[in-house]
Amino acid sequence: MRRIIPILLLLCSCQKVVTLQLNNAPPQLVIEGNVTDGLQPDTVKIMRSVNFYADNTFPMVSGASVTISDNTGVTDHLTETSPGVYITSTLQGKPGNTYNLSVVVNDTTYSASSTMPLLVPLDSITFRSSNRFNRSQINAVANFQDPPGVKNYYRFQEYINGTPFTKDIFVFDDRLSDGKYIQYELDMDSIYLYVGDQLKVDMYCVEKNDYDYFFQLLRSSGTGTFNTNASPANPSTNISNGAYGYFSAHTDRSKTVAVY
Amino acid sequence: MQTKIITLSATVLFLPLLLMAQARHTVSGTVRDAASGETLIGASIFLLERPHSAVLSNAYGFYSLSAPPGNYHLIVSFTGYRSDTIPVSLDHDLTNPIQLTPGAPQLQEVVVTGNRNANNVTKPLMGVQKLSINEIKDIPVIFGEKDILKTIQLLPGVQSAGDGNSGFYVRGGSVDQNLILLDEATVYNPSHLLGFFSTFNSDAIKDVTLYKGAIPAEYGGRLASVLDVRMNDGNDKGFHGSGGIGLISSRLELEGPIEKDNGSWIVSARRTYADLFLKLSKDTNTNRSSLYFYDINAKANYKLGEKDRLYLSGYFGKDNLGLGNTFGLDYGNTTATLRWNHIFNSRLFSNTSFIYSKYYYNITVNDANNNIGINSNIRDLHFKEDLQYYANADNKINFGIDVTHHTTSPGVITASQSSSFNGLTIQSKYALESAVYFSHDLSIGNAVNINYGLRAGLFTVFGPGNFYTYDSAGNAIDTATYTSGQVVKNYFNLEPRFSMSYKLNDVSSMKISYTRTTQNLHLLSNSTSSNPTDVWIPSSNNVKPEIADQVSLGYYRNFDDNRYEFSTEVYYRSMQNQIDYKNGAQLVANENVESQLIFGKGRSYGLEMFLKKKFGQFTGWVSYTLSRTERQFAGINNYSWYPANQDRTHDISIVGVYKINSKWTLSGDFVYYTGNAVTWPVGKYDVNGKVVWLYGQRNTSRMPPYNRLDIGATLQGKKTKKFDSNWNFSVYNVYGRQNPYSIVFQQDPGDPSKTQAVRWALFRWVPSVTYNFKF
Repeated sequence: MRRIIPILLLLCSCQKVVTLQLNNAPPQLVIEGNVTDGLQPDTVKIMRSVNFYADNTFPMVSGASVTISDNTGVTDHLTETSPGVYITSTLQGKPGNTYNLSVVVNDTTYSASSTMPLLVPLDSITFRSSNRFNRSQINAVANFQDPPGVKNYYRFQEYINGTPFTKDIFVFDDRLSDGKYIQYELDMDSIYLYVGDQLKVDMYCVEKNDYDYFFQLLRSSGTGTFNTNASPANPSTNISNGAYGYFSAHTDRSKTVAVY
Repeated sequence: MQTKIITLSATVLFLPLLLMAQARHTVSGTVRDAASGETLIGASIFLLERPHSAVLSNAYGFYSLSAPPGNYHLIVSFTGYRSDTIPVSLDHDLTNPIQLTPGAPQLQEVVVTGNRNANNVTKPLMGVQKLSINEIKDIPVIFGEKDILKTIQLLPGVQSAGDGNSGFYVRGGSVDQNLILLDEATVYNPSHLLGFFSTFNSDAIKDVTLYKGAIPAEYGGRLASVLDVRMNDGNDKGFHGSGGIGLISSRLELEGPIEKDNGSWIVSARRTYADLFLKLSKDTNTNRSSLYFYDINAKANYKLGEKDRLYLSGYFGKDNLGLGNTFGLDYGNTTATLRWNHIFNSRLFSNTSFIYSKYYYNITVNDANNNIGINSNIRDLHFKEDLQYYANADNKINFGIDVTHHTTSPGVITASQSSSFNGLTIQSKYALESAVYFSHDLSIGNAVNINYGLRAGLFTVFGPGNFYTYDSAGNAIDTATYTSGQVVKNYFNLEPRFSMSYKLNDVSSMKISYTRTTQNLHLLSNSTSSNPTDVWIPSSNNVKPEIADQVSLGYYRNFDDNRYEFSTEVYYRSMQNQIDYKNGAQLVANENVESQLIFGKGRSYGLEMFLKKKFGQFTGWVSYTLSRTERQFAGINNYSWYPANQDRTHDISIVGVYKINSKWTLSGDFVYYTGNAVTWPVGKYDVNGKVVWLYGQRNTSRMPPYNRLDIGATLQGKKTKKFDSNWNFSVYNVYGRQNPYSIVFQQDPGDPSKTQAVRWALFRWVPSVTYNFKF
């Protein structure tokens, strides 16, 4: 349906910024934790939500006790390097291992567990250009071989000239593509890539939890395009005790290319 | 004394039977339009000397009326036609065909037939709305295309599913809980162009009846309402044509006799050409895009003898949406109905129908490496035998059987070798939906009319195929494999139907009704707009039949010699086994789609008021609905009742048509309703540098109220015997209110530190001009 909506909008439409009377929830705890098989230390971020009409500055939660342990006996007490940002020192992510996160804030413990899937390598990044409503648009294409016989879930992150691209969420699963050579187009409705840009694409092999979280976010977060989901809701999280966010152990491979 | 009482009660009890035994004669026949030979549905027929025993002509124009021997005057009336008085002497059973002449009723006639013509008051049917095409032709609608689905949304208890949407909600039901029939064939998707047009070409349509309260026992299969649409039969007197040329669509209809007075044919077709505007674009992708639909209605009938007539009718419609060569979506309905009317005798009328219905969609995607096709369809083969027995003036019995074979093919994916996708065929599902029914219309004395009936339905799901059992997380934990024809599951349901009217006096009555309905085909749709790609699934081992019970109470009153009709009804409906979706449900091409569903309860209650002026220079109506529709699902809002998406507190429609003189007719309609219940963010947070929304309880916010005024004018051209034409001008949404189609929450493009809500509105000031002609 995502492709039909533009046809609909051709008919007749107008848009206007409006101020709505929104209900406000009290600040909620949000935990975002990633463990990767890359080199950099792994990070857990803890913050609180704000009201819709507030600025996009989220109160970071300092002084939490954060640990990640794995199934090989390693336990890492994370260090807070800036307010609400906690990093690992000894832990090294490895495909197949299971990681347990524990966060203690104001005597409440929030925990989550995630197993890092096996690595699927990213072959290459290519580009595809298409004409959309009088404009030529370039999208990146991630090329890789999906391993047959297993369920695989992927998530992608783009960096354009070094800046992370956050307008859209790119997730893919092999439900209808098991064992295929995948040419996945990182398709956005608006133009965002220009010839000559340096584009870095991270490909993550993620667990079903992570895929579901981001897929649901994509379906209900209203990414600026038309969202006709009848009942938007918070994505289901793998973190206990009512915290929002996610904890994900995933592989991380990237390619950097110049847009052509 | 006791013996007397027993004798008296026995007499009262068996009175109808005694009356049946008494010598009586019957006058029967078919009511037709004198000019075209079209049968008239729902014409009122009664004997002047026995005024309380009125009957209505049935869906084929047939009527039958019995009385003791004697000389009578048969009075026949129908909206938009001159009433007729025919002397009959009932000394034997009589066949009496009736022909009515179109035209406004004479004032005199209103007086003559006044007070006895008030079927809306006397008949027990509640929550029934009838519309004739004559009534809707002057009401302005979007794009100047008169449209029955848009017009019924202006009636009480019927709510529009959104701006320019053909979908409608009846008394808290969802869009898929309406049974939409075109010449008895189920129309699975009543929308063209994503809902901006309905599949019904009003040129081809004779009669529209909406049942939202007491649904007669002959109908079944949907929870909320039945919309029974009957096509024109064609002119059996001479060859004629009509048509219209509009800004974005045109239509043409031709009709004529097969054999004068014995048979006729009719073909209506229309096509939109909005896509021609796309061709003007310089962009190759846009000017190669397509955006059109066409549909064809065709029907023929032939009289085989005095007692037999055959009807063959069909509908074929197709929508085509495409974006250059890269993306295409086409979808459409096909229906065919073969019917045989047989009159066993003057009191027993039979109709046998063989019906085929299909809805399909095809999606094609072509890009650099992907050539993918997705198609899906639902097909019905349907047999129906309906018998109507007019025992006497006070007793009419209707009974029959109704058997439908459903095949649903939820999805077949074909993909090229180089594609990133595998081919996939999701197994088809097979089901047999069978029912027997009877209903009895009964008059007791002058004041009480009762209709009671029962529909016994059996829904059988059968193989071949794999049927899964799921755990609460939606994982398949067990698979049962069935061979072809093997029964997987039977669902048996009894659906009692009851309604009663009590006449308080000549112009007013009270009515009460109870109706149980069940539904075994469910439309999966988790978006706010009606998508052509939504898929129907049958009940199964996991999905139970939806069941609704409704009670309603009404007061009906006519004023001023029946020039004004007023009615008010209150209703309460409870619904079991309602369907909703898990968060992030995958409904497309999913073998385990049933694992994505959750089940709960629904309820709806409300008050409806309707005031209509039927005759005169000025006609129109005011309709008001006060209602509440709620749902209760485990895991949503702590299992408390919450407003359904279609919950609307207030819904008001005002329609007026004013005939200034023989040339000009002005019209207008105004609509106001409470905004839908929606879920809006209650906060926001950051994930991976992206701002995302925090949601609270479901449906606790409200869209702004909707309101709109449309106006229209019709200029009648010179009328000759051979040619008649008019110009129709209309403006939709005259004051250009920006009714929100959707509210989008997004990052402020001008200030990344802020987020904002953006209202998208469609359709402000849509003007249209249509030229209509008839020869």
